[in-house]
Amino acid sequence: MLLFPFLHLLALLFVPLTAFAAGHGFAPGQEEKVKRFFNKNGGSTSKHTNNWAVLVCTSRYWFNYRHMSNALGMYRTVKRLGIPDSNIILMLADDVSCNARNKFPGSVFANPDRALDLYGENIEVDYRGYEVTVENFIRVLTGRMDPSVPRSKRLLTDEHSNVFVFMTGHGGNEFLKFQDNEEISAHDLADAFEQMYQKKRYNELFFMTDTCQAVTLHSKIYSPNILAVGSAQLGQNSYSHSNDDDIGVAVIDGFTHHTLQFMEGVNKTSQHSMKDFFESMDPEKIKSNPGVRSDLFGRPLEDALITDFFGGVAQVEVVERVGGEYDEEVEVVEKKARKETPGVSAREVEVVDDHGSDGWKKVRMWGVVGVLVSLCCWSTL
Amino acid sequence: MDPTDPPAPKSLLARLKARFNKPKSDTTRSRLRRVLIIEERLSKWLPYIKFLLFTVGFLWVLALPLAELGKETYIDENALSPGHIRPQFAWADVHSADRWLDQLEKLRDSNATSEKRAEFISDEFRKLGLLGATQKYTLTLVNETRSGVNAYAVSPSPRISGTEAMVISASWIGRKGEGNGDLNLRGVAILLALAKYLKGSSSWAKDLVFVVSDGYLDGMQAWLNAYHGTEQKNLKVESLPHPSGVIWNALSIDYACHSFSHLGIFHEGVNGRLPNQDLINSFERLSRWTGGVPVVMYDHLGSQLEPPVYPSWIPKFIRQNKRFESYWQHGRNTVRHIGYQARGRPSGIHGLFHRHRIDAFTMYAICAQGPHGFYAMGRVVEATLTAMNNLLERLHASFFFYLLTGPYTFLKISSYLPSPVLISVAMMIQGLTTWSQAGWVLDVSGKTAITGPAASKWITRRRDVLPVAMTMFFTHVWGLALFAIVSTSWYIKNIQQAVSLPVFVLFASLPLSILAITRKQSPGEAPVGLVLKALNVCFASPIISITSVLNFSLALSFAMLLGIPLSISAWSRRLPVRIASYSIYALLALGWVLFLPEETKTALWHWEIASAWFAPVVCVVYAPLVLQAGIATLLTR
Repeated sequence: MLLFPFLHLLALLFVPLTAFAAGHGFAPGQEEKVKRFFNKNGGSTSKHTNNWAVLVCTSRYWFNYRHMSNALGMYRTVKRLGIPDSNIILMLADDVSCNARNKFPGSVFANPDRALDLYGENIEVDYRGYEVTVENFIRVLTGRMDPSVPRSKRLLTDEHSNVFVFMTGHGGNEFLKFQDNEEISAHDLADAFEQMYQKKRYNELFFMTDTCQAVTLHSKIYSPNILAVGSAQLGQNSYSHSNDDDIGVAVIDGFTHHTLQFMEGVNKTSQHSMKDFFESMDPEKIKSNPGVRSDLFGRPLEDALITDFFGGVAQVEVVERVGGEYDEEVEVVEKKARKETPGVSAREVEVVDDHGSDGWKKVRMWGVVGVLVSLCCWSTL
Repeated sequence: MDPTDPPAPKSLLARLKARFNKPKSDTTRSRLRRVLIIEERLSKWLPYIKFLLFTVGFLWVLALPLAELGKETYIDENALSPGHIRPQFAWADVHSADRWLDQLEKLRDSNATSEKRAEFISDEFRKLGLLGATQKYTLTLVNETRSGVNAYAVSPSPRISGTEAMVISASWIGRKGEGNGDLNLRGVAILLALAKYLKGSSSWAKDLVFVVSDGYLDGMQAWLNAYHGTEQKNLKVESLPHPSGVIWNALSIDYACHSFSHLGIFHEGVNGRLPNQDLINSFERLSRWTGGVPVVMYDHLGSQLEPPVYPSWIPKFIRQNKRFESYWQHGRNTVRHIGYQARGRPSGIHGLFHRHRIDAFTMYAICAQGPHGFYAMGRVVEATLTAMNNLLERLHASFFFYLLTGPYTFLKISSYLPSPVLISVAMMIQGLTTWSQAGWVLDVSGKTAITGPAASKWITRRRDVLPVAMTMFFTHVWGLALFAIVSTSWYIKNIQQAVSLPVFVLFASLPLSILAITRKQSPGEAPVGLVLKALNVCFASPIISITSVLNFSLALSFAMLLGIPLSISAWSRRLPVRIASYSIYALLALGWVLFLPEETKTALWHWEIASAWFAPVVCVVYAPLVLQAGIATLLTR
């Protein structure tokens, strides 16, 4: 008869022990093991866990067909390399595929051979036509959205997100024209990125522009972990690449064309670095001198993989497992924070709070109480 | 402080203070003195300034054709995107044009009536699946009645509502000889072939409207009036059954001969209106590069094909200069342009579109043995229409005020406008000088050897403006009467005969009756002749400068004709000189009545059909101004 209570006591004794093990996480070598598993093909030094892309074509009108195909070309590439539609914000200021002048209705081709229809399958345009405004673009970046805006139109990034921002259109010295009636300036962009940084909306950000005098657009950025490339220097034009004799307009810009050409050689497991990518740019072919800005970027370019920004390669972040009460408490704090500062993401709070040691104390306390109670029970039996 | 020290800082300050704190009366006095000195120098230099302005103005006219003054044309509107398309107009379409030409030639040979022709063409349109129709019109002129029938068709844009349209037109009579020439049969044939071919494409963002207008200008005027609902008293038109959108652009095809070597640009509209330069520039580029057909201005072939005939009075060393060749060519184009624009005469049926804010021009096939025909024409038209189709708004980016000296060189407004304006400024100076001369006279009666010029003084005279203004008003009313008589059917019918001489004598001599009613003037009054001259020149000057922005060529012609004659009109002591100078002024004002009957007739015809302002402007503005200068020479001092 004593066997059952004994087993009971034994089981209860294990409770604090398992709690202790959980509190300390994995065994020391385990994190390394997981990392090694994911990095066995070379791997990335990036700490991001998810990828996002914001692709913007700021010009409308038929004769700006090439800007639409620039953005759609990038869209195809990031999708092919694994970023899902839910993580891509595509902004197209016009719909050339349905333009009455388009000889191939419903299609957008970026090459006169017309082998690849960029508008062919499953295109999700998040912001179209007159929705593509400076205001909306900055709202997307900074996350200051009206509550009614659906999730598909939001950039739901956190401090573990790598964000790729691509902009194309007509620009000039430190500005990019939106829709013929407004402009975004290099300062606006820099401030938007800084807001993103302060709100921990990105881990690393790659900013690419294809427009005339594109390097001036990233000249004012001052937030860390941003890598930028522009298609042309100050005073330089960014030229179109090829013209389709049947469509009757230029179908793609030189910089984007050569970028996409390079990207066609990249797949989800490729180990090409950003350095390789930048070195592939040939000013002769592009007809302008692309400019890279890497002074704010925290890693050497040869360590930064192209797939860190263009790909959706999954990374696992090893976190400490925590108890139920902890979660509850965090939630309460989150709710409070939302009430107090509606514009600030709750995620900040989550990071700032450090209740880990308190939680462990409670677990230990309850463990001791449990042992005592079980001992009492056993003795009364 | 040691008094021998240089009194540097303090005295400098003191001097500065003194400079800024001068007594007020001093400043006023010095300012007055300064003004007086400037005025004196200016009045001394005024004749030279005037002379300089006249000289520069006239030399500028001569410099207009200089290549250095010109600029190469360029395309300003992004949306046009010319030359990005490969035309698909093919030999099969050439074949269909040939077949239509056969049928049109049969119609011509059988002397088919307008109705029959238009019926045939609209039937062909309908067979192609277009909305074809005919339109009858009757034009009543003072001495004739013209009636005709237009045929037209609308090809709606396939994928978008047709709120905008482009017009492709061909008149039945070509523009060779300004409408008296050959039938534009090939133009009509290629238009039909194009209608068939262009309908097959689904990428037209605008309606295509094909118009075969009867006659030369009359048919198109009737069609445009009906399309836009414009009332014209002497033109009865049938309404158009098939409406379309707002017309932004139009091109007309003029192709009369078997083959052509060049395409000529004709772009002047009624009253000197011009289409946006982007349209012409894109056509020029497309024809040259896409169609492979060189483009020239008007029917002026280049010097390689058409050796220029220089007048013998030009010195040999100038004639042999290489740059003179281009100067001569540009000069020819400029003179031709001024000829159309100054007279407000359309250089083709395209000129009637401009009034409705439609940019239009005529592509004129210059007759040659070859090498081009329907194939090249079809491709050039297709490429040009594609560029127009790309437009998202009306042409606005490029110039509306320009002077095409060659197919790809032009003068900006700033390069040509100064010539008439400088002359007009010189005239204004002349007028104001005369005005002050009339009002002030130097009294030298008290002058003695001892006191010298200081004793002479300026005395004012009363300037009687009312009689002078009445005289000017009367001459302009007289000009109106002249226009009323000249535009009667009686005058136009008898223009070649003896009627012009009596009209000339009547209108040249009646202003002399003013002399009879002028009274003897008192010494304290300014001479009427001088006041009249002052007001006359001061009135002509703004007319020139204001016209220069409306119709540059007309302003330039006025400046050339009025500038010097009005400024030099002067009273002479001798009666025969006065009479001779008046006769010269009368000839300058009304000589056209005697010597240019055909010109008069054409100007009146254009006034009647298209409201070209040239005829009334000459009668009511130009002739009276010159007559006023003539009267000023006669009026006694």
